[in-house]
Amino acid sequence: MIATDGVSKPLRAIGGFFAMALDTLFLMPRRPFAWREFLIQTWFVARVSILPTLMLSIPFTVLTVFTLNILLVEFGAGDFSGTGAALGAVTQIGPVVTVLVVAGAGATAMCADLGARTIREELDALRVMGINPIQALVVPRVLAATLVALALSSLVTVVGLTGSFFFAVFIQHITPGAFAASLTLLVGLPEVIIALIKAGLFGLAASLIACYKGTSVGGGPAGVGNAVNETVVYAFVALFLINVVATAVGVKATT
Amino acid sequence: MKWFVNEWNRIGKQTQFYGDTLGSSGAALAHYRGEVTRLIAQMGLGTGALAVIGGTVAIVGFLTLSSGAVIAVQGYNSMAGIGVEALTGFISAYVNVRLIAPLVAGIGLAATIGAGATAQLGAMRINEEIDALEVMGIRSVPYLVSTRVIAGVIVVIPLYCVAVLMSFFATRFFTTTVYGQSVGVYDHYFTTFLNPTDLVWSFFEAVVIATVVMLVHTFHGYNASGGPAGVGEAVGRAVRTSLVAAVLVTLFVSLAIYGQSGNLNFSG
Repeated sequence: MIATDGVSKPLRAIGGFFAMALDTLFLMPRRPFAWREFLIQTWFVARVSILPTLMLSIPFTVLTVFTLNILLVEFGAGDFSGTGAALGAVTQIGPVVTVLVVAGAGATAMCADLGARTIREELDALRVMGINPIQALVVPRVLAATLVALALSSLVTVVGLTGSFFFAVFIQHITPGAFAASLTLLVGLPEVIIALIKAGLFGLAASLIACYKGTSVGGGPAGVGNAVNETVVYAFVALFLINVVATAVGVKATT
Repeated sequence: MKWFVNEWNRIGKQTQFYGDTLGSSGAALAHYRGEVTRLIAQMGLGTGALAVIGGTVAIVGFLTLSSGAVIAVQGYNSMAGIGVEALTGFISAYVNVRLIAPLVAGIGLAATIGAGATAQLGAMRINEEIDALEVMGIRSVPYLVSTRVIAGVIVVIPLYCVAVLMSFFATRFFTTTVYGQSVGVYDHYFTTFLNPTDLVWSFFEAVVIATVVMLVHTFHGYNASGGPAGVGEAVGRAVRTSLVAAVLVTLFVSLAIYGQSGNLNFSG
């Protein structure tokens, strides 16, 4: 039994996660939809993520633009720095910052909140009252996180482009007209749509992981802390994986 | 006004804590060497469910592997758009070293070791174990906090080697095997533009990030409050803060290193 324990425990966790994800998907169209919880959670996730988003996306794009501009100016192609900024902001920085914020800020807060409820036995109380906690708590959270992730990725892109514009024009002395004109050289509508689809997938996956970890918490204070820790790790791993696959599929689809 | 005073005091409290921690790292190394060794072993392999999927090394390796793959996919295709896909090797040597590897390693460190430290310290605080230590006459900051910061910084060095190698390997594998570029072309541009000084600086960046991340995470864990739920919230807050801190550190260190000259190795 001891020998099989090391294998069966993670397998059971994976099985439990998929069971909950399927439950969530099936319960999504089922009435009554918890509108109130959905709105509260949307506001909650947006509130915890908005500041980290701004704080992450500005330095991230400045860093990318700075590194790329060293290169472009060296080539004598400083006028194309807009292209580099757009490519970075839309196709890479946007999704990556969204990953960091959704997994690092949104999912951790969500898992901590759900974990606290589980520890206080609120979920058991719901079950006793005949309310399915997945329908009442998990479904609105997953939808809220997906919606917020979509909104955040747009915000990251806009903030990133604005930040890189100011950095390139005022600090690295690139012509503003050339910057704006070269923005759309490599990046167009398809890339923007792919970035949004990626963001939606990130929100969905991260919130499912957070909800699973949050509802299966056990073992007091250390348990909640570990659950949040595991949420961050698994969410990062899952989201980086989704990013690679979605980028490869997206690049294939647009060319 | 009250809000301003509170925030101001919070900054002061944090600064004092960081000063204390760094100041007592000498004491930690002198008196608690066994604890440091134990923490290094624990952080390198991870605990609980994390150890099952390979521990910290596997997670950081995986994260850099996948971001290296993204660099290959995106870089190759964007370069192919303007007909210079031969330069993907250059992108790997340039972007991986300067941006991706330090950042992703820092993020992986925050998520695994950092968040783990917050959870442990937070649980100790809530269970009043830290107060018990103080009562027994053991100084809790060197024993619990400084040892963790030292261990984190030591662990990041082999971890960062894995991260850099993984990002190089992933970009090379995807460019040559998946997109079918000839290995010679890739290796030529990669070795031409790989700058050893850049690598040393990026190591330095990783160590600075590790120190900042560990300080932020131990602070939030050491000062957790509000029962079991408080530990979870502390971990969340610590991850948010340390992500922002990691990116800002990378930005400022790169501006400091490359801001003047660019240090671009152009002719090989």
